[in-house]
Amino acid sequence: MDRLHAKNGFTLRIGGRPAATLDTPAAPRRVAAVAGRLPFLKPRLAVKPGDRVKIGSLLFADKRRPELRFLSPGGGCVSAVNFGPRRRLQEVVIDLDEEEEAEEFPRLDEADLQAIDPAELGRRIVAGGLWSLIRELPFREPPALDRRPPAVVVFLDNLEPFHPDPRVYLAGRLERLRFGLRVLERLTGRPPVVTACAGGAETIAEVAPLLSCVVAGRYPAHDPGVLLYRRLGRPEERAAWMVAGPDLLLIAEFLQEGRHPTRRVIALGGPGASPPGHLEVRLGAPLAELAAGREVSGEPLRYVAGGVLTGTAASADSFLALPEEALTLLPEGARPGGFLEWMLPGRRKPSYSRAFLSSWHPAASYPMDCNRHGGIRACIQCAFCARVCPVDILPQLTYKAVLAGETEEALAHGLLDCVECGLCSLVCPSKIELLQALRQAKEAFRAEMD
Amino acid sequence: MNPVRRFFDTHRHHFEPGGRLARFGFLYENIESVFFAPAAVTAAAPQVRDTLDVKRYMFLVIVALVPHYAFGVFNVGYQAHRAAGLPPEFGSVIAVGLKAVVPMVVVTYAVGYFWEALFATVRKHEISEGLFVSCALFPLTLPPTQPLWQVALGISFGIVIGKEIFGGTGRNFLNPALTGRAFLYFAYPAQTSGDAVWTLLLPGRAAPVDAFTAATPLSLAALTESGGIPQAWAEAGYDLWTLFLGLYPDAIGASSTLLCLVGALFLITVGVADWRIIAGDLLGVLGTAAAIRLLAGPGAAPYLLLDPWLHLLVGGAAFGIAYMTTDPVSAPALPRARVAYGFFIGALTVLIRVFNPAFPEGIGIAILFMNCFAPLLDDLELRRRLKRRLSHVR
Repeated sequence: MDRLHAKNGFTLRIGGRPAATLDTPAAPRRVAAVAGRLPFLKPRLAVKPGDRVKIGSLLFADKRRPELRFLSPGGGCVSAVNFGPRRRLQEVVIDLDEEEEAEEFPRLDEADLQAIDPAELGRRIVAGGLWSLIRELPFREPPALDRRPPAVVVFLDNLEPFHPDPRVYLAGRLERLRFGLRVLERLTGRPPVVTACAGGAETIAEVAPLLSCVVAGRYPAHDPGVLLYRRLGRPEERAAWMVAGPDLLLIAEFLQEGRHPTRRVIALGGPGASPPGHLEVRLGAPLAELAAGREVSGEPLRYVAGGVLTGTAASADSFLALPEEALTLLPEGARPGGFLEWMLPGRRKPSYSRAFLSSWHPAASYPMDCNRHGGIRACIQCAFCARVCPVDILPQLTYKAVLAGETEEALAHGLLDCVECGLCSLVCPSKIELLQALRQAKEAFRAEMD
Repeated sequence: MNPVRRFFDTHRHHFEPGGRLARFGFLYENIESVFFAPAAVTAAAPQVRDTLDVKRYMFLVIVALVPHYAFGVFNVGYQAHRAAGLPPEFGSVIAVGLKAVVPMVVVTYAVGYFWEALFATVRKHEISEGLFVSCALFPLTLPPTQPLWQVALGISFGIVIGKEIFGGTGRNFLNPALTGRAFLYFAYPAQTSGDAVWTLLLPGRAAPVDAFTAATPLSLAALTESGGIPQAWAEAGYDLWTLFLGLYPDAIGASSTLLCLVGALFLITVGVADWRIIAGDLLGVLGTAAAIRLLAGPGAAPYLLLDPWLHLLVGGAAFGIAYMTTDPVSAPALPRARVAYGFFIGALTVLIRVFNPAFPEGIGIAILFMNCFAPLLDDLELRRRLKRRLSHVR
């Protein structure tokens, strides 16, 4: 087995790590399929309010790429179709019936899997509305259906605070994981590269034999982009596919059961969650119901769909989107600092730098919030961003190339290797939105390639 | 409630849109943010941000400079007493030092802040804290006899030409404090160079007492024609400890190698100064001085044969190395370019000192010169790095 030591990176010491417990919140009365937080999607509606749908009925699909289908996570009546700014579809809400009906899809057993045509297998995943769980590097969007990837990476751990612990989400689902890996092998014609992090999924005895690579290092060592940057040198190898462990379980469940999955394990964490832990939830459940009774009181909270560093702020009225594995609750922190607080030694101030006393005596975790902690300034070339970057980009120079419209130069800097981990923006003392700049440049470049 | 907080809360409405001082809203925000960090929250991923901001980053440099001010106040008074032939009584030494140093600092900050605030208000951006570092560095490099109007002129040149016309802190390519210092050096050499300017004379005195040597160790080193320079220093009363502590006539707070050493270690420890630059500097000074000594051979001018490390004990070399070369904005961005940048500064400093009698001290000019070459050094390293990097675009 390959062992890789990832360079750079940074482990954020933020409080609210989910315990290895698994609870099931009360069953929701309504669920929704969310489109608003999937940036690659240009949705076209297939239903209207009042329509009756089953679990697995088509709700919307991408306008340009019909293979990106999004199916109903519940059976009942479409009660609302919500639009956001510029009439972008946010979500389709379904009031659930007492007895939900489900669309039936063909089942796939072990013998079928050995015989099925890979193209037909791909079409089945598409029909099940789960193709968007497979993403292609470097743009991290669902791949074209007919593409044969140079590699497919399944990552079982996710070091971003906070994602489901494989010891929790894999418990009792190992057979399903193995089936999922065989599905990917059949689909792509090559065995998937299965990665785990040191001290993570590799410690599960039954998982260890499945692994092809164990990555040691700080966040975002788990990211397939880091592995690709370090191990797979040739440019054509870098258009690999990536699938998160929990997502592979959904694909395997759909193929085995012949029904659109309705449940997944998510991590509820962050300093605003009390107690933080794992939840087995309905897909598309209302976020407020997921966090109900587990919010820290006394402070306004920000709901973040996803992790602290890459997740998106979401309204508490929103719902869990299909690929989301985490709900993070963060105190807003929208209050001015204390009197001359920035001059104090900072024994309890978390920082990547060594500019506070906390660096010499770090606590296990800090109650961080969404305060920006400073005004926006021009870059002072402290080079912290270059030191945390896991793929050796020099964000302080690359973002200037981006702002100047020098796409070629940004590409030469390694723009497409960016794993979008968010560490450069995190550590910047000038509070420059480096991640935003690099992401937008990548998006613009991809749009130009179409 | 904190009385300062209450003050800001009661006066805020004047500066908000519609208030009678609304056009100075930026100024209000700037002053408030000195006392209370802003309440702004993140609007995009990542949702949390590091506690470190530019204010803290720059503040740590000022912390490192505080001992230099304490030392400077003492040394100015101490040298003035020595020049007057009076016993250095502590209270009166401090009083004389304060009287000379405080007005210079006040003028520097008032004028510097005026320019920064003017540009910030016109450009509608916040005041960048780099200003406070530039204003803290500038007086320390001046002789204690500099007229205040020249101090005001020097910091104006440093802030406006060295920084603001390029867009403010972060967009300047020269070190603003040194730019102002160099301006004074070339514009007013009578008040900025020679042996007389480095010692403050007590009121009523036209010249130092005979027993007092006003010559700085640097000018002694340049003038020594035979014999060893350390002996010449010793005859003038500068033994190596005196030089290390900085107790000789020089710029206000730049002479103490001991404090520069402490400050540099502090800045490296808190991660504000890059050790690579300082390592390059030391390599440049020591390597060049050693090479000159080796090539000169016996019988050459004593300055060529000076022990390399003694270059670090005299003049502003240590101060420049610790605080001026490590300014990240005017230095290159990439690690190896930073070592090279430091090396060339060190080398140029020694070359200017030893070979150019017109400049007793070379570090200021060397740093400004290499500031101009920092982008080139970055470019060379960047090309080398990008060659190693595989491109997605074929």
